[in-house]
Amino acid sequence: MDRREFLALGGGLVSAAFLAACDSRGPRSADKLLRYAERKNLGVERALYRHTAIDVVQHGAHDAGNKLPSYYVSPTVPVWDESARGKWALEVSGLVGNPVRLTLEDLQRLPRVSNRVNHYCVEGWTAVETWTGVPFTELAKFVRVAPEAHYVDFQSFDDDYHESWDLESAMHPQTVVAYGLDGKMLEPAHGAPARVYSPVKLGYKNTKYLTKIVFMPVMNGGYWSDQGYEWYGGV
Amino acid sequence: MATKKRHHWIVRVTHWVNFVAIVIMVGSGLEIFNAYPAFARKGELFCCYPFEHKPVPDWLTFGGWLAGARNWHFAMMWVLVVNGLVYLAFVYLHGEWRDLVPRKGDIRDSWQMVKFYAFKRKDHPHQGKHNALQKTAYFLLPFAGALAVLTGIAIWKPVQLSWLTAIFGGYVWARYWHFIAMVVIVTLSVIHVFMVFAVDPYSLPSMFTGNYDEKLSPEARNARPFYHLFPRRARVTPLPPPEAT
Repeated sequence: MDRREFLALGGGLVSAAFLAACDSRGPRSADKLLRYAERKNLGVERALYRHTAIDVVQHGAHDAGNKLPSYYVSPTVPVWDESARGKWALEVSGLVGNPVRLTLEDLQRLPRVSNRVNHYCVEGWTAVETWTGVPFTELAKFVRVAPEAHYVDFQSFDDDYHESWDLESAMHPQTVVAYGLDGKMLEPAHGAPARVYSPVKLGYKNTKYLTKIVFMPVMNGGYWSDQGYEWYGGV
Repeated sequence: MATKKRHHWIVRVTHWVNFVAIVIMVGSGLEIFNAYPAFARKGELFCCYPFEHKPVPDWLTFGGWLAGARNWHFAMMWVLVVNGLVYLAFVYLHGEWRDLVPRKGDIRDSWQMVKFYAFKRKDHPHQGKHNALQKTAYFLLPFAGALAVLTGIAIWKPVQLSWLTAIFGGYVWARYWHFIAMVVIVTLSVIHVFMVFAVDPYSLPSMFTGNYDEKLSPEARNARPFYHLFPRRARVTPLPPPEAT
């Protein structure tokens, strides 16, 4: 951001804020400036991002266990109904050399890792849990991601929930396609049969109830990002 | 004419930008806080906050909902930081820091101000641009601001900048210190605004125009909160009666 941009943003935000008394959301006219700031923040955050930055659980921190909240957007806990939809499988497709459909058994045959990490929720709370699954980098290697792929979309059967990510965050060493939580198979409340999980993204970016992972040349928004939450959602 | 230039235009502009930025940052911050009005990690208890899980009143919040508040918070933070740096750079380069940095005798002078406000001392202690208590508040504010900014970065990027988060004792504590920094800033600001209206209302126009009439200063008026708000009427010494011849 150069000086002129800063003056425009600062002056605009300050005068917009003076008019803000009209409603608690602030004036509509500020929306453009807020979106501009989000785009600039995205640039700052992607520049800050390092694969070598690893989430470490604080010494003495307790596991959240059953205190880990569960969120979903369907009216009831989404459960894959085998009798109606057939056997669950995860489709990995898009800009890849080897598109696949992986059953839960297939996923479990791929390299496995367990990470005890923090969960950073957009609401401000954190929770410590151990997630078990396939490292995303292994999955990417398995399907042979094309060099034109810069984004990944994680899609679910929880209504139309999906969130797309920048590829570099997906390739973080702690990002997993998780099927286990705290030493047990994932339960419906936390995204069974499989979900994406990474401590480098806020909770809402970590799509539960996965059905598809699609590698893309461009970003594809997301359920919460389209409603006004930051698309990047990185921590 | 006793009117003097009191505030450089850079000080006046950064003051009012800061006012708006702080109001928006506090309001949107409290809206974000209300999404989880507690500090404990899930499955734990937090020692040091007596109001865990009690949201702050809605009228103190700004942004309408969590995403709206976050968008305001993450945009206005740049205004707050750049504006603060402009102010500090100006104060340093232009010499105004001399009116703000504590020096020997300030503790004694502060105590005298407390005594004066408590009616234990009759006359207003002699002061420079600011009285000793005021100076302390203006000196502390940038530190509280720096703490708010650094703890804010620490909870914005607890993985990418984990070294910073670790300095504040990890995410839970960094979030707590962020809240405490806000409380300090709000407390200093509320006292500041109260004192402007209760002791030195003549300083309010000076933050717009830059001009200030020293004859109306609290020291000249011997003003305590709500005491001697109007300037002293000049003491007129009547002529002695003509001597009888």
